[in-house]
Amino acid sequence: MKVKIIVLAAALSLAPSLMHGQFDFKLADRTIQVHSFASQGFASTNDNNYLTIKTTDGSFAMTDGGVNASVALTEKLRVGAQVYVRNFGRMGNWHPQVDWAYADYRFKDWFGVRGGKVKTALGLFNDTQDNDSLHTFALLPQSDYPTDLRDATIAHLGGDVYGNIEMKRLGSMAYTVYAGRRRDTKYGGYTLMVQDRGINIDTYGGLQYGADLKWSTPVKNLLIGGSHMAEDVLGSGFTVCKQAQVSVNCVVWTAKTNGNYQERSRRDYINFGYAEYTLGNLRLDYEMRRYWRDQMVWNDMIEVRADTRGSYISAAYRVSKRLELGSYYSRFTCKYQSGVKPPSYDTSLPGNHIYDTVMTARVDLARFWNVKLEYHMMNGYGTNQSPAGFYATDNPAGYQPKTGLALIRTGWYF
Amino acid sequence: MKYSNWLLIATVVGICAGMTASAADVKVIANQSVGASSVSADELKGVFLATKTSLSDGSHVEPVLAKGGPAHEAFIKDYLGKTDAALQTYYRSLVFTGKASMPKAAGTDAEIIAYVAKTKGAIGYVSASASADGVKTLEVK
Repeated sequence: MKVKIIVLAAALSLAPSLMHGQFDFKLADRTIQVHSFASQGFASTNDNNYLTIKTTDGSFAMTDGGVNASVALTEKLRVGAQVYVRNFGRMGNWHPQVDWAYADYRFKDWFGVRGGKVKTALGLFNDTQDNDSLHTFALLPQSDYPTDLRDATIAHLGGDVYGNIEMKRLGSMAYTVYAGRRRDTKYGGYTLMVQDRGINIDTYGGLQYGADLKWSTPVKNLLIGGSHMAEDVLGSGFTVCKQAQVSVNCVVWTAKTNGNYQERSRRDYINFGYAEYTLGNLRLDYEMRRYWRDQMVWNDMIEVRADTRGSYISAAYRVSKRLELGSYYSRFTCKYQSGVKPPSYDTSLPGNHIYDTVMTARVDLARFWNVKLEYHMMNGYGTNQSPAGFYATDNPAGYQPKTGLALIRTGWYF
Repeated sequence: MKYSNWLLIATVVGICAGMTASAADVKVIANQSVGASSVSADELKGVFLATKTSLSDGSHVEPVLAKGGPAHEAFIKDYLGKTDAALQTYYRSLVFTGKASMPKAAGTDAEIIAYVAKTKGAIGYVSASASADGVKTLEVK
């Protein structure tokens, strides 16, 4: 695996010299554009393995990439698709997946429709979180964009209605309303977390629907927005209690379920509020996220209710054509009201929060190639209820209250 | 304040103003197929940020960007409110989520004018002093 990563990294490092930007070709008098991106990271922590990566040893297991093709069939109709693959520690496992694939018909500037597998509009960066070159930071604030829970929000198989409405002196409003089904992979953080509890999930997914509004305000370069996503998901699998790393009375519950496992939504939703302001080379972002989880687990025997909140404020400044500096402060808290564990409302406990202070330097070595140097100072590990980057299987001796994470990540796009 | 000091300040301001291009140094051009003779700043922003595909008269338009230069920097700063790096990132975010294609980009005023002249619906921007043979100039309101 290490050889594969190093060879891929070496090959990708040669690619920028060979590439000249996007690749177009003609087919039946239509121009098809092909684009791709890739990133390779190295992560090291002083304590606690993070994101299922053996970071305490230092690890290159942080690779991803994608390729897409798209074409405008008419002035109003576009089609395209993108394939994405990643390997982050135990997540992704190099399994390629269709990232998005849809047809987009734009009736008017204020009304269009998309159908197929569509990236979900949620917050500022949900739909672009995979593309390293688009962001200042090597790791987006995990309080709002948890990479280990990517499967939960990244895309839906269904449709969007979208548009941009000019409001004259009030600016403009971009809206997206969507509905579809989500289908998680077996290589995401939630699957790995429940494995720690003796549960093997075979399938996880279901209905998702929501909306996003982005208001370009009359104040120049000030964007304000909000998103809501609700879901009705069902997960099923089986239990293997001997694999449990966390004590949740697996044996007791398995005896009542005959080894079969199901969980389902009662009332799950995510809300986002956000603002972005740019002034010349300075960009400021603020987002807040609330995930309210109300699900029945262990075959309707236990109700899990948890209130997970995230927020961050970030600043990024482009010093020169080649150098951008950035920093953010991220807060993640969880209040666990009911479920397999005792209730826990005290967010000062390290299991109920992660506070992360980050500093980043992004160097654009060439137009299509960047390198990021980033350091995280994390307080807490947030393991009480949902995956928050720290997993029992990767930290069998328990968790230290603070984690220092050094990241080097290089990315390319073509 | 002494008169000489005011003169010095005015001279410095004048020099600084002359060092950076502004929207006044840029003109917007379009293919002859585009019916409109003028375009609002909001329309221009919408077209070049891919939120609009037609002008108020119904003409379908497709933007062509400059790859760099003073006219490019002035246009994207004054009309789009973005730096070149931010604009490239913005377009890549659309491309990698399937919402748009990368727009055509050309290196010189002459290349932009040649492309706009031959491409139905094309709309671009060049230096105010560039010759506009074969294309129409749109007044920006």
